[in-house]
Amino acid sequence: MVDDSKALFLQIAERIEDSIVDGHLAEEAQAPSTNELAAFYRINPATALKGIGLLVDKGVLYKQRGIGMFVASGARQALLKERRAAFSDTYLEPLVAEAHKLGLSADDLAALINQRFSERTAG
Amino acid sequence: MTRVVTVMRLQFVNRRTYVGMPLVILSGAFLLAILILLLVPTDELKFAGGAVAAPLWYFSVVGWQALALTFPFSQAMSTTRRDFHLGTLLTAATTAGILATFYLVISLIEAATGGWGMNGYFTIPGLSGSQLPVAALSYFVVACLLFLFGYTCAAIAKRWGGVVLTSVLTGLSIVLALAIILVIRSGSWGTVVTWFVTQGLLGTTLWGLLLAVLMAYGSYLMIRRVEH
Amino acid sequence: MTKVVEVKDLTKRFGNTVALDEVSFNLEPNTIYGLLGRNGAGKTTLMSIITAQAFASSGKVQVFGEEPYENAGVLRRMCFMRDNQVYPDSSKPVHAFRIARLCFPNWNQALAERLVADFRLPVATPIKKLSRGQLSAVGAIIGLAARAEVTFFDEPYLGFDAAAREIFYDRLLEDYAEHPRTIVLSSHLIDEIANILERVIVLDNGRVILNDATDDLRDRAVVIRGDNTKVAAFTAGRAVIHRQALGALSAVTVLGHLTHQDRAALTANDLDVSPVTLQQLVVRATQAAAGTAADQGAAR
Repeated sequence: MVDDSKALFLQIAERIEDSIVDGHLAEEAQAPSTNELAAFYRINPATALKGIGLLVDKGVLYKQRGIGMFVASGARQALLKERRAAFSDTYLEPLVAEAHKLGLSADDLAALINQRFSERTAG
Repeated sequence: MTRVVTVMRLQFVNRRTYVGMPLVILSGAFLLAILILLLVPTDELKFAGGAVAAPLWYFSVVGWQALALTFPFSQAMSTTRRDFHLGTLLTAATTAGILATFYLVISLIEAATGGWGMNGYFTIPGLSGSQLPVAALSYFVVACLLFLFGYTCAAIAKRWGGVVLTSVLTGLSIVLALAIILVIRSGSWGTVVTWFVTQGLLGTTLWGLLLAVLMAYGSYLMIRRVEH
Repeated sequence: MTKVVEVKDLTKRFGNTVALDEVSFNLEPNTIYGLLGRNGAGKTTLMSIITAQAFASSGKVQVFGEEPYENAGVLRRMCFMRDNQVYPDSSKPVHAFRIARLCFPNWNQALAERLVADFRLPVATPIKKLSRGQLSAVGAIIGLAARAEVTFFDEPYLGFDAAAREIFYDRLLEDYAEHPRTIVLSSHLIDEIANILERVIVLDNGRVILNDATDDLRDRAVVIRGDNTKVAAFTAGRAVIHRQALGALSAVTVLGHLTHQDRAALTANDLDVSPVTLQQLVVRATQAAAGTAADQGAAR
C-alpha cells in the first residue's frame, strides 16, 4: 500500500489529489480531517497534517476556520493540468524505454495504444 | 501525604496478605490451641504462646514480599522510593497494630477469666493492670521487627544481590553464635539476664523500637539506590 | 519549543560493559518516537534511567527541566510500561487499574474500560494466571489510559496476535489525536509501526546511530541491483551500507538521495532501484555500525 521510497506525507497528499481527480471528492466538499486520515491510514496525525498543509500551500485545499478543510474550486482542473504535464515523464519515459528494449517502433507502439483505447471504451 | 496513603492502598490491594492471612493464622492457631487445652484437663498453668507467635513469623515473609513483589510495581506506578518506603512501613505498622489489639483483647479476657477458666494462656500469664498494654506494645514491636527483618533482607538482596544477602545473614549468625558462646564461656550470662530484668518489658520493648527505627532507616538508604 | 526530556552525554556502565555510551538526544512534546535497535542495544536501560528507575554512570537527564530522581511532581507525569512488568502477588488486573487510577493524574477510566473490552481482558483473573498476551494487555491498557505526558512502551505487544496489535495501534493513534503527548515506542516490529512514528531514534551498542524524522529516513537509502561491474561503477564513491552478490548480479544498499541524473543513469545501465523500508534501513544501519566497530577493532 505505502510506497517506501516517497515521503509518507507526499503520498497522503497524492491520494487526496487522486480522489479529487477521479471525482470522489468534489469541489467545495469537505476534505477528510487530519484525525480521520490518521485513523484511516493508520499513520501519525502529524504526517496527515503535513500532507494537508502541502495541499493548502498548493491551493488545492483551503481552510474554513472552525469547520475544516475544503476542496478549492478549480482544483480538479488545476490537478489535471499538472498531471498531464507530468504524464510524459512519469508514464511515457518508461514505456518508450521498454518498447525500445523489445524492439518496438513508434508505429508499433501507436498501434498498441490505439488497440488498448478501443478495448477500454468497448468494455 | 496522599501519595504515601496511595502506597498503603497499593499494599492493601493484597488484603489477603496483610490482613487476611495473619488473622487466619492467628485464629487457626488459636482454635487449635483451645482444642488442645480442652484435651488436657489439668489445673496447672498451660501456656500456648506458640499460637500467638504463629502470625509473627509470617510477618517476616510479608516484609520480604512487600519489597520484592510490590516495589517493582510501585516503580511502574511512578511513585518515589520515599513514598513507597513510608507507605509500606505504615501499612506494616497498621497491620501489626491490628494484631497487637487482638493480642491486648485476648490478654484482657485471659486476665479477667483466669485463663479461660482453665488456667490456659495464649498471652503472657500472670500480668495485670498496666502491664497488659505494655505486653501488647511488645507484641507490636516484635511484629514490626520481624516485618523489618524480611523487608531489610529483601532490600539487601535488591541492592546488592542474593549472594551478598546470604553472606550477611551467615555472617550475622556467626557473630551472634560467637557472642552467645563468649557470654556463656565467660560466665556473664547472669549479667545479661540481669540487664534484661532491669530494663523490664517496657525497657526491652523500647530497645526493640530503636532497633526497628535503625532497620527502617537502613533499608531506606538501600532502597534509594536500588536499580531496575 | 521546550523539550520534555533532555538527555546529554548519558553513559551507563555495568562493570566493564558499557551499556550506554554518551547518548544525547531530546524528546519534544506531542510527538510519537520510535526507539529502535537490536536486543541489548540499551533501549530498556535508557528508558529506565530517564524514569529514574536506574541511574546513570555519568551524563545528564532532565525531564520537564528537572532531575527526575525522587521527584514526585515529575515522575507522575511519566509512565514506563516494561515488557516484563511485575505485579503484586495474587493481584488482579482490576487491582492494578485501581492503583493506576490513583497514581496517574490524567487517568481516564472510560478509556481503560473500553480497552479492557477491546482486548477481551479478564479483569478478575489473577495476573499470574494470565497468558503472555493478556499480561501485555494489562501494561498496554495502563500505558494508554494513564495519558501520561511522557509515555514509554517497551515491547508493549509481546504475545499479542495481529488483531490485538491492530487494536493497539488504532487506539493509540485515536487517543493520541485527541490527547497529544510524547510517546516512545520501543519495538522490533519496525515496519508495522513505521507509519505511526514521527521520529526515530536508533541505538546500537549503546550509541545513537540514527535520530531523524521518519519521512527523512524514507528515502535515505536505496538498493541498486544489476550486473556486478555496472553496480560497482554506479556505487563507487557512495556510502555503501550493505552488499549482496548472486553470481553475476549484485545488490548494493547505498545511502543518499538519487538525483534525476542518477535515475537516468540507472535506467540507462539497466540497473534496478528499489526502496528500503524503515526496518531494512535500521537493520542495515546496525549491521554497518557493527562492521565499522569491527574494522576499528581490527585496526587497533
